[in-house]
Parts: sequence; structure tokens; C-alpha cells
Amino acid sequence: MLVLSRKEGEKIIIDDNIEVTVLESENGQVQLGIDAPQSIEIHREEVYRKIEKENREAAEGIDIGKLSNFGYEKQ
Amino acid sequence: MEIMTRDFGKIEIDKEDIIKFPQAVPGFPEDKEFVIFPLGEDSPFIVLQSVNNEKLAFITIEPGNYLKDYEFEISDELAKKLKIKKNEDLLILSIATIKGDIQNMTINLAAPVIINLKEKLGKQVILDEDHYPVKYRLFAEQEKELIE
Repeated sequence: MLVLSRKEGEKIIIDDNIEVTVLESENGQVQLGIDAPQSIEIHREEVYRKIEKENREAAEGIDIGKLSNFGYEKQ
Repeated sequence: MEIMTRDFGKIEIDKEDIIKFPQAVPGFPEDKEFVIFPLGEDSPFIVLQSVNNEKLAFITIEPGNYLKDYEFEISDELAKKLKIKKNEDLLILSIATIKGDIQNMTINLAAPVIINLKEKLGKQVILDEDHYPVKYRLFAEQEKELIE
């Protein structure tokens, strides 16, 4: 992992077109500003991990027989 | 062509039916091609099966059939990625997680699968956090409504 030290107001530039600015740093909490092209998706890690985890859980095999007998009335 | 499925053995699919997920789905970065088919006649469930990995399949439902207020915005960027021309071309699916009893089934409203049926392009979109739950108990809600 590349480790860089930055002060408030300083930036790093990733790949020519992504700029990350340290806006504020206080009591262990860092506020970041990110300028990136719209096509770059940015997520808080825990949100992304939650979706990953849910997908893995959802992909665990299930008893399909139970489901196929399951008629469910649409509203 | 024939593909192997997790729950239905070998099935015959048309190459044109393959839906490409250029960005895969979170947790399964290798799987970029899927097919969809109904789980059974009159079943509300739609199977999202990986073409190249028979072990990977999701059970999904169309959330709009149950939750009238479920809505989110399609960003310009997403429209570009999925080549969306009109909303009528879209199929919106929620991935179901079923542990034990079916009544405990939850659906993921936080990250719907959006498929442009016309272009055969799909993506699981992570909606803005805190708005919709990752685990939404569909039947709990339905039962409540029935009682009311």
C-alpha cells in the first residue's frame, strides 16, 4: 500500500483525473473531497462491503423446490 | 448453446439472450454474463444465472410489483453505461436472500439489478446509502398489509 502524508487542504491526484483533497482532519475523523469524472463510482467501503456480503449470502444455494411451489399473489 | 445452471441442470439458451454485466456484481468480479428466466410458470421469482459459472445464481423478484413507492433515479452516467433510451426497456430486479423458511426471505432494495433488455446490459446499482435497506422483509410487510 502506498502511504502518503497530507495536511489539510492538500491533495493527491490519481490517474490524471481524480483529485482527493483532505478538507478537514479532527479527532481521528478525516473529511475528504473527491473530484472525479462521473463514470468513477465512489462508495463508502462499508456500504460496498455490505452489498458484497449480501450478494454472497444470496448466492448460497437454496431449496429451489420450496420456491417453485410458491405462488404469490401480485398486488 | 447449452449452459449448466445451479438449480435446473442443463438449459438451452440463445446467445442473444446473454446479458452482459461489464462491471460484474459486488462479490463476484469474475462473472460478467448472465441469463434470466422465470423460476416457474406463474412464479414471481426470476433466476439470474451466471453463464460461465454454473454455481452462481441469484433468485430475484421485481420489487415494483410489491412496493409501489420503491423508486430511485437513473443517473445520466448509468443511462450512458447501460445505453438506456427509455425506461420501458428496463427490468428492475431485487436479489432475494432466503435463509431457512421462505417467510424469512429478504430482498435487497439498496442495490437493485438494472437490466436494459433491449441492449442486454445489466448492472447492480448501489443506491445512496441509508435510503433503502439491504435486507427488506417482503412478506412481513405483505402480511401486515393483509391484516390492516
